Amino acid sequence: MGNVIKKIVVGLIVGGALFGITKALDFPTVFQLMFVAYALLGTAVFLLLDAPSLKPVGGVKAVGALVVFYVVLCVVYIAGASLWPQYDPEDEKGKIEKILKPKRAATEQGKAEELIARAKALDEQAKALAARIKALGGDQASGAQASGGPGAPPSTTGAAGGDILKVGEDQWQLQECYNCHKLRGEGGKKRGPELDNIGSYMTVEDIKEKILDPRSWMADGFEKEYEKKKMPDKYKDLMEEKDVIALASWLVTFKNTSVNTPKPIKKK
Amino acid sequence: MKTWQRSLLASCALLALFGGAAFAQAPGAPPVEFPYTGNRTAVWIVAQLHILFAAFILGAPIFVVISEWLGYRKQDPRYDRLAKEVMKVTVILYSMTALTGGLFIFVLLATYPQFTTWLINHFFLLFAVIYPLLFIGETILLYMYFYSWDAWKGDKKARHIALGVVLNLIGTITLFVIDGPTSFMNTPVKAEGISPAEFLATATLWDKIYNYSWMPMNLHRLVGNVTFGGFITGLVAAYMYMAAKKEDERAYYDWMGFVGNLIGVGALLFLPFMGYLLAYELCDYDASICPYMMADQLSMFFEMQGAMVGLIFLASNYYIWLSMKRIEGVERVRMTIFAPIVMVALPFVMTWGWTMFPVPDPKSLAILVPLALLPVVLGRFIPITVSSRTVIKIGFLMVVIGDAIWLTPHGFVPTGAKLVADLELPSDWNFLALMPAKNSAAFTLVFVTVVNYIIYNRAISQGTIVWGKIDFASQFVLVFLAFSAIWTMGLMGAVRSLLRKYFHTYNLLPDFTPESFTPTLSYSAWWITAITVAFYVVVSFAIFVTLRPTEAKAHAPGGSPAPAGAK
Repeated sequence: MGNVIKKIVVGLIVGGALFGITKALDFPTVFQLMFVAYALLGTAVFLLLDAPSLKPVGGVKAVGALVVFYVVLCVVYIAGASLWPQYDPEDEKGKIEKILKPKRAATEQGKAEELIARAKALDEQAKALAARIKALGGDQASGAQASGGPGAPPSTTGAAGGDILKVGEDQWQLQECYNCHKLRGEGGKKRGPELDNIGSYMTVEDIKEKILDPRSWMADGFEKEYEKKKMPDKYKDLMEEKDVIALASWLVTFKNTSVNTPKPIKKK
Repeated sequence: MKTWQRSLLASCALLALFGGAAFAQAPGAPPVEFPYTGNRTAVWIVAQLHILFAAFILGAPIFVVISEWLGYRKQDPRYDRLAKEVMKVTVILYSMTALTGGLFIFVLLATYPQFTTWLINHFFLLFAVIYPLLFIGETILLYMYFYSWDAWKGDKKARHIALGVVLNLIGTITLFVIDGPTSFMNTPVKAEGISPAEFLATATLWDKIYNYSWMPMNLHRLVGNVTFGGFITGLVAAYMYMAAKKEDERAYYDWMGFVGNLIGVGALLFLPFMGYLLAYELCDYDASICPYMMADQLSMFFEMQGAMVGLIFLASNYYIWLSMKRIEGVERVRMTIFAPIVMVALPFVMTWGWTMFPVPDPKSLAILVPLALLPVVLGRFIPITVSSRTVIKIGFLMVVIGDAIWLTPHGFVPTGAKLVADLELPSDWNFLALMPAKNSAAFTLVFVTVVNYIIYNRAISQGTIVWGKIDFASQFVLVFLAFSAIWTMGLMGAVRSLLRKYFHTYNLLPDFTPESFTPTLSYSAWWITAITVAFYVVVSFAIFVTLRPTEAKAHAPGGSPAPAGAK
């Protein structure tokens, strides 16, 4: 028993010391607690090492012990996995929908679905018009048609025809460029260069070329062999040209000279 | 289960395969909607169950043959008995593999008919000819191997072992073949400057099979299957030890548990590096997979993996500790002081070394190899030793520290996009979250386990091992190892599939269903646990029905385990 108490005391001292040291080093609270948890894990391990032997059991008792053991394992694993921060799929669903919408539309099934949707919209529009003609007369019905009733077909002038910079910013988010590039102080893990001053070095055409053919340009300081393939060579297949131009047009507006964006070097 | 029943099951699986291929040719079949689980999770459950059974039936025969050979060579009947008992369980689970394989095809066709048709068309020769032939070949060889066990003993034993080797060759080829389409879904063939769709149109079957992640996946699965088979053997031993009523039975199953754990841990030592190789190739294929996997949507899956691997290493070393406690004379075993010194130095020195010379730079080995060999070299010239007990305890401390390094994340956030200062490691300590630190932690766990096994071997040779007298807690450790290994397989299987993001086949064939998003770790954990429990129930039943009658038939001449060299 004395040995057990000694180990618990040592474990608590180590845990306390880790807590104090990490606090002094400005670790966030969650990390301080994590280091304490490591100390507790170590204590549990060392308590187990010198624990007295378990007496053998058999028959129903053994089966019961096994079932309880399995239940404990299931609970611990599910609870353990649930304790970690959880990614919210809703963050992704909207993005995926936006990315896949044009691809779905391009498929045979997508075309058929679009035709069905249009037919439905036209049908509803015709019904609405017929109802108005019947209730109000011809003049009012034509006015309703001109202003676009509830069944009016969707507008064909999308964002591409409007704010190109907004589309560019959307593409930055959709393609998750922020995972590798820092911009406006957000995102980036030093995998790719910080881009706040990219507009001072590259034109829309240059950036477009870089996105579609990542090896056409290399940032100064990112020329090691293993870094050459860091930017995926897939955007020419994943993005539509208008989206690439929108993204490039948006990026070219960043001309913050106070940020040290490495100079791009033409390679092809 | 009788032969005709097994054959019927295998035939059903083949019928499902051919029927599925034929059904896939009929266009326009509307997909079904699975209630409650949804289609994706329904496919996940069946696929994972199939893979678990397949992993065992491919992994177990590898060491079954080795065990049979050891029994033949050492003239130790225990090895032969172990091999035969594991083979009995394997034969039952082979039927389950065929059954779940057939079910998998049906569910896949019913839920994703267009994708399945597309995949089958691209690998038609493989799905319609090569795989079925290999499957039939393996079925014939497996039953021949099992049913000729008693007939081919004595002088014919070598012939039987050779048959087992052929069985393993066919099994390994089957694994490699089916890994073709599986890995293709993650890393389809591509060439610089050509779109994947264009390149695919001209690609040969071999081009499609021999994709970026094919060989790393083959190696990872091969080693993983042996690990898995070893731990399931430990589970069989634990069940039988608990059920044993006689001392000699308890002694045998104690020994069997030790061998199962040895195989499981022995293969486990290679697994982190095989996993690393697979991840490396995936990242090399498309660098955006890396942040998705390690820093963003799936980063917490890797935290959980770190926790699981850490627990598995702790448990396997704890089993060694419990095994040592029953060796008489273990206190005399000593080891050079440089072993614990290297243990302590490894995570720190290698974190520095691999930061300076990142893997795969050859210089990275220039620090690791001398450090790892230091105890062997210096131990010869400087005879300062410490007790085995001290070395093992320091080893445990380093396993805990290794686990801690492996687990420490860059930030307590589900994606890098949500990183804020309050949840992020201080920049000076960010190295703890980078690959050099993680690799050094993994290597520390491996090094400590190897040293512990060296001590264990010395203890066996210098002392007297009392089989059957192991601490009863060890049986729960064996059960824990099997359960945790299966759970981790499920977790990493989910990760590999999710790496395709919103594609059925990465960057080629989008998944337009509303389920093509990254699920939460918690949701995944529920299903992984459910699948593990379902697998466990079947395996436990298989052990019960196959090994219990052995006791009753122990005196029957045909069924009794014969010494390997007996005539």
